[in-house]
Amino acid sequence: MAYTKAKIKDLVEGKIDRDTLHAMLATPKDKERFVMYLDILQEQVPWDDRIILPLGPKLYIVQRKSDHKWVVKSHAGHEFCDWRENWKLHAVMRVRETAAEMEEIYPRLMAPSTDWQVIREYYCPKSGDLLDVEAPTPWYPVIHDFEPDIDAFYSDWLGLAIPERAA
Amino acid sequence: MPLDKQNGRSVQVLGIDAGGTMTDTFFVDADGEFVVGKAQSTPDNEALGLIESSREGLGHWGLSLEDALSSIQTGVYSGTAMLNRVVQRKGLKCGLIVNAGMEDFHRMGRAIQAYLGFAYEDRIHLNTHYFDEPLVPRHRTRGVMERVDMFGDVVIPLREDSAIAAARELIAQDVEGIVISLLHSYKNPHHERRVRDIVRAEVEAAGKSIPVFASVDYYPVRKETHRTNTTILEAYAAEPSRQTLKKITSAFKDNGSRFDFRVMATHGGTISWKAKELARTIVSGPIGGVIGAKYLGEVLGYRNIACSDIGGTSFDVALITQNELTIRNDPDMARLVLSLPLVAMDSVGAGAGSFIRLDPYTKAIKLGPDSAGYRVGVCWAESGIETVTISDCHVILGYLNPDNFLGGQVKLDRQRAWDAMKVQIADPLGLSVEDAAAGVIELLDSDLRDYLRSMISGKGYSPASFTCFSYGGAGPVHAYGYTEGLGFEDVIVPAWAAGFSAFGCAAADFEYRYDKSLDLNIAETASDDLKAAEARTLNEAWHELTERVLEEFELNGYTRDQVTLQPGFRMQYRGQLNDLEIESPIHTARTAADWDRLVAAFNDTYGRVYAASARSPELGYSVTGAIMRGTVPIPKPKIPKEPELGATPPEDAKLGTRRFYRRKRWVDAQLYQMERLQPGNRITGPAIIESDATTFVVPDGFETWLDGHRLFHLKEV
Repeated sequence: MAYTKAKIKDLVEGKIDRDTLHAMLATPKDKERFVMYLDILQEQVPWDDRIILPLGPKLYIVQRKSDHKWVVKSHAGHEFCDWRENWKLHAVMRVRETAAEMEEIYPRLMAPSTDWQVIREYYCPKSGDLLDVEAPTPWYPVIHDFEPDIDAFYSDWLGLAIPERAA
Repeated sequence: MPLDKQNGRSVQVLGIDAGGTMTDTFFVDADGEFVVGKAQSTPDNEALGLIESSREGLGHWGLSLEDALSSIQTGVYSGTAMLNRVVQRKGLKCGLIVNAGMEDFHRMGRAIQAYLGFAYEDRIHLNTHYFDEPLVPRHRTRGVMERVDMFGDVVIPLREDSAIAAARELIAQDVEGIVISLLHSYKNPHHERRVRDIVRAEVEAAGKSIPVFASVDYYPVRKETHRTNTTILEAYAAEPSRQTLKKITSAFKDNGSRFDFRVMATHGGTISWKAKELARTIVSGPIGGVIGAKYLGEVLGYRNIACSDIGGTSFDVALITQNELTIRNDPDMARLVLSLPLVAMDSVGAGAGSFIRLDPYTKAIKLGPDSAGYRVGVCWAESGIETVTISDCHVILGYLNPDNFLGGQVKLDRQRAWDAMKVQIADPLGLSVEDAAAGVIELLDSDLRDYLRSMISGKGYSPASFTCFSYGGAGPVHAYGYTEGLGFEDVIVPAWAAGFSAFGCAAADFEYRYDKSLDLNIAETASDDLKAAEARTLNEAWHELTERVLEEFELNGYTRDQVTLQPGFRMQYRGQLNDLEIESPIHTARTAADWDRLVAAFNDTYGRVYAASARSPELGYSVTGAIMRGTVPIPKPKIPKEPELGATPPEDAKLGTRRFYRRKRWVDAQLYQMERLQPGNRITGPAIIESDATTFVVPDGFETWLDGHRLFHLKEV
């Protein structure tokens, strides 16, 4: 089933009607969806690099226009690192590791004990947008969430040509 | 329904089934003969479809609407108006009063309400779950300070000033109804009634007229969310529906009718549109068929019946065992859990209008769960439908006559269906169009057959002890398919299958039913004093419910002595989870001997429903609820009885032949006009028996004969 671009835009913006959303969730994914989704995202970002894969709200793997190198880039335009690296290591980070810091966001006694769990927030250095949050035990290394197999996704799943990638 | 007797007939009973797809009307005359009318539903103004359907039906008798209506004594309506209002959340602006500290429970709802009504795939797919907007928003909900515990003991006395404040605040918000539902009020009604009186006094003091609904006056049963939802429905949806029913009544009065409509209710009886408890008419259509089957069964001696109904959107199954229906006490509708007695029925979302799609990855054929409803399918050019449906397969394979759908009211285009089927299903699967369509029909038949089988065997029965009734617009088309190989004692297709639900409505009693929760617990060896005390508690509940039943009948102008009362109760072995509804053998219960008779009736029923050896009297007994049903006599459709003639159908019943595809070959099926067949006639497949409103398919390998009651019996040969 094909949807109009306007419908997909509503979906991306969280404004889609309940019935269409339910039909989307309950039926196999429409073939054109990913390309349409990328189009919509591309219209919303303030730069011209081609989006290869969104990693989260306001975070993307892009093909840098100047040299076709794939990098992780934020909506505001900050380039973090090569797409295979963990971008979090290059982000601005805040760790909530005391009860007082937890109580800024949770009522007392409803937050985890910071001996057992901390909250790490990762921000865009350029805009201050919160890009990701993780809640591991205090000693745990920074988590590399997602190492996508983009080649397989493009060629095997979607039947699309893999965009050029400079080494 | 022979057409020889023209006019001079006096039409007595009208049954209406306004479904999502078709509006059926069913007229019965003084001799018990009947005719079915059909028209497409008109959800925006139901009266239009109703009048159209009536004209169509009466046209078969050569009667005008005006002529017929003046003689009709009774009319029963079942339809979807109220359900739609609730589904679309288009009810009145209500206020809600609950316990202080409990103000959020209505908007939080029960977790199950997040996925009620979903297909199985969606139910296990958490992302699809969501909560609807509450019927009453938080800002029109107020708490009063009081608490009654589960034993009915007062833990915190009612602080009346909190009730006064709650009432004033809601009145100031201009609500159109105020609902009161306090914890455990079914056990001890005093606080809730006191709050009700305070609210009424405040409404009066404010110079307004706002109706007040206390849950204890309507549904004094346990389960807070169920009870509260149901009472809110009375305020939220039932009052506007009363107006709809009034409109329908007056549309008929404008055309010369002189009767007041009754409405099919969830408990299987009919009630007046003036009834106090109108919320229970929220769903009624599919129940009509079950009541019709039960009525036929009682008159003709079929004690165990599997009722199967295929309409445009769903396949509904219900079992009647030993002439008894099963009643469920906490059904759900419109994604709400409710406290209503409902005739138990199981449904799957597969009907004649179900869409057919291919899974793009596995190429598996998927039926539904959504459907074209009244828009039939691609074969109806004006429908705007682009996805092929089951009806398209029927047209392609020659099951349906494209020129006689609804007696020709809707012209179907076989080529359109063929082309769409080719592109959407046949080509991607590498099949011919007819094989693809036949595959879809086979798939549907086997789905329905498995469902029917599992439902019967899941309850511990064998199909061999059941007679299967097949009705609904598409029931007779598939009856051969979903009963094949199951070994039913008999398979019956009434000649008025398409109007069977409407017939059932006409056959239903004029019956009010009230329920109340009780918590009686007693050991098998309890003393006579204790037994007598428990019997008296039950008797008090019956007395309370009797008053309410009689009050309803008085609204309709019946005096107390005209009402036949039938008490009942729900009983279980102590500690078991499921109770059984038992018709009481006695009308008043006062003594230990009375109690023993109630227990004996329960043990009997338990042994019949499950097995005699499963009875466990050593656990003791619990009574979980009291029931009171009251009926008054009304005219019902007579079941026809005609003498049986020869086995050979008359020549004038034959309509030629049509090419019919099944099991990889085209055959020429003999066509018959259903109304011209005579009792005693035998027809061997391949044959198709057509009527304006339904089509009965008898493929090769099957035989049918028509009995004197105009019931077709279908057999494998």
